[in-house]
Amino acid sequence: MMQRLLPFVSLIVLFTALAIASPHFLTQTNLASVVRQTAVINTMSLGMTVIIIAGGIDLSVGAMLAMSGVLGTMAMVSGMPVGAGVLIGVLAGLFWGAVNGFLTTRLRIAPFIVTLGTLGIIRGLTLIITSGLPVHGVPLSFAFLGAGNLLGVPFVLWVVVVCALAMHVILEHTRLGRYAFAIGSNPEAAIYAGVPVAFNTTAIYALGGLLTGLAGMIEASRLMTGQPTAGNGYELQAIAAVVIGGGSLTGGEGSIIGTLIGALIMGLLANGSDLLGISPYLQQAIIGAVIILAVSVDELRKRRLAKE
Amino acid sequence: MLYTVPLLLDLSGVQKRFGGVTALRDGNLRVAPGEVHLLLGENGAGKSTLMKIVAGVERRDAGCMLWQGRAVSFRSSTEAAAAGIAMVHQESLLAPHLSVAENIFLGREDRRPFGWVSRQRMIERASLLIARHHFPLDAHASVGRLSPAGKQLVEICRAIQHGSSLLIFDEPTSSLSGAETEEVFRIVRALRQRGMGVIYITHRLEELRAIGDQVTILRDGASVHTGTLAGLSTDRIIQHMVGREMESIYAREAYPPGPELLRVEGLACRLVPRDVSFSLRAGEIVGLAGLIGAGRTETCRAIFGVDPPERGRIFVGGREVRIRSPREAVAAGIALVTEDRQRTGLALRLPIAYNITMANLRAVSHLGVIDGQAQSRVTAEYTERLRIRCASGRQAAGRLSGGNQQKVAIAKWLFRHARIFLFDEPTRGIDVGAKVEVFQLMDELARSGAAVLMVSSEMQELLQVADRILVMRQGRISGELPGRTTQEEIMRLAALHREAGA
Repeated sequence: MMQRLLPFVSLIVLFTALAIASPHFLTQTNLASVVRQTAVINTMSLGMTVIIIAGGIDLSVGAMLAMSGVLGTMAMVSGMPVGAGVLIGVLAGLFWGAVNGFLTTRLRIAPFIVTLGTLGIIRGLTLIITSGLPVHGVPLSFAFLGAGNLLGVPFVLWVVVVCALAMHVILEHTRLGRYAFAIGSNPEAAIYAGVPVAFNTTAIYALGGLLTGLAGMIEASRLMTGQPTAGNGYELQAIAAVVIGGGSLTGGEGSIIGTLIGALIMGLLANGSDLLGISPYLQQAIIGAVIILAVSVDELRKRRLAKE
Repeated sequence: MLYTVPLLLDLSGVQKRFGGVTALRDGNLRVAPGEVHLLLGENGAGKSTLMKIVAGVERRDAGCMLWQGRAVSFRSSTEAAAAGIAMVHQESLLAPHLSVAENIFLGREDRRPFGWVSRQRMIERASLLIARHHFPLDAHASVGRLSPAGKQLVEICRAIQHGSSLLIFDEPTSSLSGAETEEVFRIVRALRQRGMGVIYITHRLEELRAIGDQVTILRDGASVHTGTLAGLSTDRIIQHMVGREMESIYAREAYPPGPELLRVEGLACRLVPRDVSFSLRAGEIVGLAGLIGAGRTETCRAIFGVDPPERGRIFVGGREVRIRSPREAVAAGIALVTEDRQRTGLALRLPIAYNITMANLRAVSHLGVIDGQAQSRVTAEYTERLRIRCASGRQAAGRLSGGNQQKVAIAKWLFRHARIFLFDEPTRGIDVGAKVEVFQLMDELARSGAAVLMVSSEMQELLQVADRILVMRQGRISGELPGRTTQEEIMRLAALHREAGA
């Protein structure tokens, strides 16, 4: 039990250490900025958690995020209401997620390959649509999503919390979530048990796409443009958050709370390095080391558990 | 016990604990050169732990181990191997994409500059080894394409290639056909002739006499009996293993069957089955016998929609059904308890509760949301009814013994309320006590009006359990026999040459 709490304890230790090390850390401005900065990766990694639990992976989420942001902002620029623009962005993510799911289940190609392919396709299409230029001129009210406050805390915090709660319930208390575990743990056994594997796998990728679409709109709102080059490398950060949080790339293991802690640890490390004046180059190396450390500690725990 | 030759291995009072669990309390075992020593016991009795200590995989907590008269403590399997102890593993631990020769020498390649490997020399050495033992193996062949027996032979080659004095076989024949088993026996006897000591773990009581000299029986982590096999009846062996009297022959009462539940007409796939027709009635247990490759497993897979048949019709309860996937088979009330439960039967890392409800999640959920209480209730009901020995329903299925895993796999279908049960080698790799429980369960199913088809390579089991026995040969049903037939009759139908049968 103690070891299961380890990620949580590390998060608190990190938090306390930063609070002591830097007088600027515990200020409302700084904490709010941490929340805003991590919201995008947080939202994406919620969907990635379920995909990874189901034994899959989605490398195309960074590109998907850019296309969602671009399509959503273009809709707004063309005169559609902000809400409709956000919806279009979210649906674009949902669409590409479903395409990924459809390709992996129908063509039976490994998701790593499928999403490596769609990564290129989506990024290419996004650049074509925008001619490589950012989308400007979004309505000012769109800034609320990324920069607004509700009840004294950043609005995105509410978005992340609601999404996380919803995903937690889906994962732990619904058939879709249960099937994700079953498919990830042993796809053959799931097929033999009559589980609708293809449908559920597609639904899981679509759900991941939907959350990525939402993340894309948050990113666009924070930048107040639709950037066709946004989200480069985000897929690896989202995967890292899941893995630090105890998710297994072989499927069948992972949790929403774990992923949130993973994403927060990465966010705090980045923020702390900024506050303490550590070079962004070293920052990358630190986060890389933390990924390896977190996973090896988790492996040790599992091995000890298996021995008993 | 008097030994005229010096002992190869002498274990006394060996103990081993894993966390809070005592795996071995008092392990005693003496093996002389040139003897095949059977190590028997139920799953969890401590056989594997004892063998792992001998082979250097685990270290003992207490007790004494003498190897060729000297006290030893192996710290790794490499040390044990260097001393001349080798283990042939039950599950193939081979690299399927590499050749037979590469697998035999994997990790023990000749040391050459720059890690260079001479394929030619490796093949030559492997071929020599294979030829010396007259193994039916090709050093060039890719291991992934070999039959289970072929893989077993590669494992044996691996174990004997560097001159071991003691070989440990962990259930070598559990996945082999009759002829292949004979082949393994021949090899074991040849090794014994050459003065090697052999420790042989098995669950197949009927094959003991063909191979064993001495026997040691473990129960609950302690050696409870040791002696010559000749002076020990099979009933006594079972008693020592389970620690209680048992109906030595599980006899099933026959009663009149009900209406037809499943009828198969002219079922055919690309290779096997070729043309299979039969029917199952409610309350019946029908055995399906045949040699490996006759198409028994393939018939089950075809009916269950794993490999949908190319030709033929399937009727469930008199109505024709089209089954193109396991999903459709499950919807039609058919259940398949597969022969390889680890690969296709269970999600080993998930809790027992998840496994039991996997095929019928709808029954414990409402509008897609799972009712946790209903799930716990169902899990408690089935673990109790099937006497699944576990700490709780939250325990991972993979941590149960083979017999209890099999019961979880069966529980999944009981909870799905299937009416037609296809059991493919249901007793493979499970101990005597669990076997009888599985038989009782099948009997209960039949009594409650289900139809049961049981594929088994152990003819003795079919004779004990089945009301009638279908025999397959080369993809076809070669005959049907009443339940009270003989092994000879089954073999005659299973092994007859095509010319003679025509």
